[in-house]
Amino acid sequence: MTSNRLMARKVAIPVAWLLIAAGGLFFDPSSVSAQDWFKTGTGLGVTKARVAVPDTVARSAFTQPLPKTFHDVLWADLDYSGILDLVSPSFYPLQTPGQASELKAQDWAAAPANTNMIAYGNMTTDGSSIAFAGYLSDVQNAASPPAIQKIYRGTATDSDARRLAHQFADDIIAFLSGGQPSIAQTKIAYVSERGGNKEIWVMDYDGANQQEVTHLRSISLTPRWSPDATRIAFTCYVPFRTVTSAQICMYSASSNRLIAFPRYRGTNSSPAWSPDGSQIAFMSSQNGDPEIYVTTSDGTHLHRITFAAGVSTSPAWNPKTGKQLVFVSDRGGSPVLYLSDSDGSNVQKLDLPDMGYVVDPAWSPNGQLLAFSWRRPSGNYDIYAMDIVSRQLVELTKDAGRNERPSWAPDGRHLVFESTRTGTRQIWSMLADGTQQRQLTFEGQNESPNWSPK
Amino acid sequence: MVAAATIRPDENLKKFFYASLIFHCVLVVTVTVSTYFSQTGENWGAPGGSVTVGLVGSVPAIPLPQPEVVSPNRVVDESKGLFKSESQPKPQPVPEATPIPKFERDKPPKYITHPSKVLENSTPPPPNAVPYGGGGTPSVPVTSFAMGATGTTAAGLAVTGAGGGDFASRFGAYVAAVQRRISSEWLQSTIDPGLTWGPRVEVTFDILRDGTITNIQLSQSSNNRSLDTSAIRAVQSSSPLLALPAAYSGSRVSVDFYFDYRR
Repeated sequence: MTSNRLMARKVAIPVAWLLIAAGGLFFDPSSVSAQDWFKTGTGLGVTKARVAVPDTVARSAFTQPLPKTFHDVLWADLDYSGILDLVSPSFYPLQTPGQASELKAQDWAAAPANTNMIAYGNMTTDGSSIAFAGYLSDVQNAASPPAIQKIYRGTATDSDARRLAHQFADDIIAFLSGGQPSIAQTKIAYVSERGGNKEIWVMDYDGANQQEVTHLRSISLTPRWSPDATRIAFTCYVPFRTVTSAQICMYSASSNRLIAFPRYRGTNSSPAWSPDGSQIAFMSSQNGDPEIYVTTSDGTHLHRITFAAGVSTSPAWNPKTGKQLVFVSDRGGSPVLYLSDSDGSNVQKLDLPDMGYVVDPAWSPNGQLLAFSWRRPSGNYDIYAMDIVSRQLVELTKDAGRNERPSWAPDGRHLVFESTRTGTRQIWSMLADGTQQRQLTFEGQNESPNWSPK
Repeated sequence: MVAAATIRPDENLKKFFYASLIFHCVLVVTVTVSTYFSQTGENWGAPGGSVTVGLVGSVPAIPLPQPEVVSPNRVVDESKGLFKSESQPKPQPVPEATPIPKFERDKPPKYITHPSKVLENSTPPPPNAVPYGGGGTPSVPVTSFAMGATGTTAAGLAVTGAGGGDFASRFGAYVAAVQRRISSEWLQSTIDPGLTWGPRVEVTFDILRDGTITNIQLSQSSNNRSLDTSAIRAVQSSSPLLALPAAYSGSRVSVDFYFDYRR
């Protein structure tokens, strides 16, 4: 009796499934195949988007030229991003749109403008605050809604107009690059002695808004931003019981003051943050020979990771993995770069095709490229970038003063460095292929820049 | 005054001197004699005196063990370790005698039940799922020309072709951004340097609402592993992409992305 029922079920279940499957063939719901898709690809060169940035339309009376400031900063940010081509203003149609409904897309899409995207908007003020309504539209595809449609608000000051322009530029660049980090709101820390002493200064990435942040009245060197951009570790010379020695100091950018970090014997310099911000590698001669030590970011758990005769200094972590270090050592005679694992094992020399001094390594954010300054026997200090995998080299500066101490921007497309090409030592920045070099500081002597991670 | 250290001149040291002399003479004689008598074995090595040693270091067939080299350890230092050793768990007291549970009589089930794969599916819904009835305009391609309106998504429904294929025409700028992003993340230096040309590689993946890339698959291989790997890595490192356009109402978009390689 029981076995009969079991047998019946054994037959019935597959039959039922067959029927359901057959039904599915006929009643296939169209919603399953209505999954949206597109096909695209790469390989034959990617064209940059042509972007038009017409003047900002002022919708109310301004006492200061804030719309013009906004437009100039926006233009400079987009021009310097390296991922788009700006359409020359002489090709623009006569009518300047201020909002989406005023845009005549076909005028901008047609020759001679041949625009892909247009960034435009209008600014209003009530005397104390400003509001900018920004749009980014695809004029080749007039039916599509604006890609960006946002209102940016701030106070009616020059610095706030700049800040809003940086925000709008960040949104545009993030959209056009498909979500990569953009740098219009990043900062650069550097060393300046325009006040008499070498102090740490901070400025916007375009050189505006330069401010002194330390007031130690001694010597401060090699600032390094923490990965969350809340702290700056640097080399300082602060006296302690009549002994002045180089130590690691820590500045909190959020509370605008120095915070505690332990002192060590001997000379301590060139701090470097691990990519998760939990550890700091630095050079220390506390046991005689200058070697690289690693400590946690609050100064505990100190341990030594290099054990070779000679100086080992200028460590830099691989920001992508955090599992590799590059540092400078003269254990083989002259200072060159060495790679090692983050615990100090597996040391290998980075062989270069020529002799000379190789210092100041800086790792690109994707861990792929290593920038450094190299004095070849024939000539000057110049900045080079090396592909770690293939060991291919690119020379980024050439025969223009001494160019040293590169530092990468978080987008991996820009570098900041110091150069003596104008006669004085100044901070310069460029695209990572060596083009679009521009000077950021002009006053006094400035050196050792470091780009904030965000 | 250090009286104990000085020697008084009237003390006689002669008998001590002679005793010491005799002791040293006996010592020298004992050492000499014992050296002579203890030389009983053969010379070190063969009776001929010289030893010939064949060098085998270059013969690879002999599996010699590696010489033990004592070198300073770079990983371990003498300071405190990184991890605390865990303390042993306390031994649980063995319970006293417990009553044997009474078993009920085993009854065979009347019929075997299998859990329903549909009704008892415990898989949580994906994080970007639109709740039933909570979505916006339906996820069906919308074209503006059908209703003559000015490009608003509420213009009406006009299903074109096989359905779903007009994302590129509606959001061309988004597609171009995806293309630029993945192109810039494609590290061609990781491709085998001997390869100057490769067949097309195609990778399919889905972009979720927030731009996360999932479901990466190699749909067409180039038969070169380094080229295939570089293409998949380019897609992986592009995540998260830009979030899907706000005007798009669906929860995900499938992408078919190809890579053409020419050195």
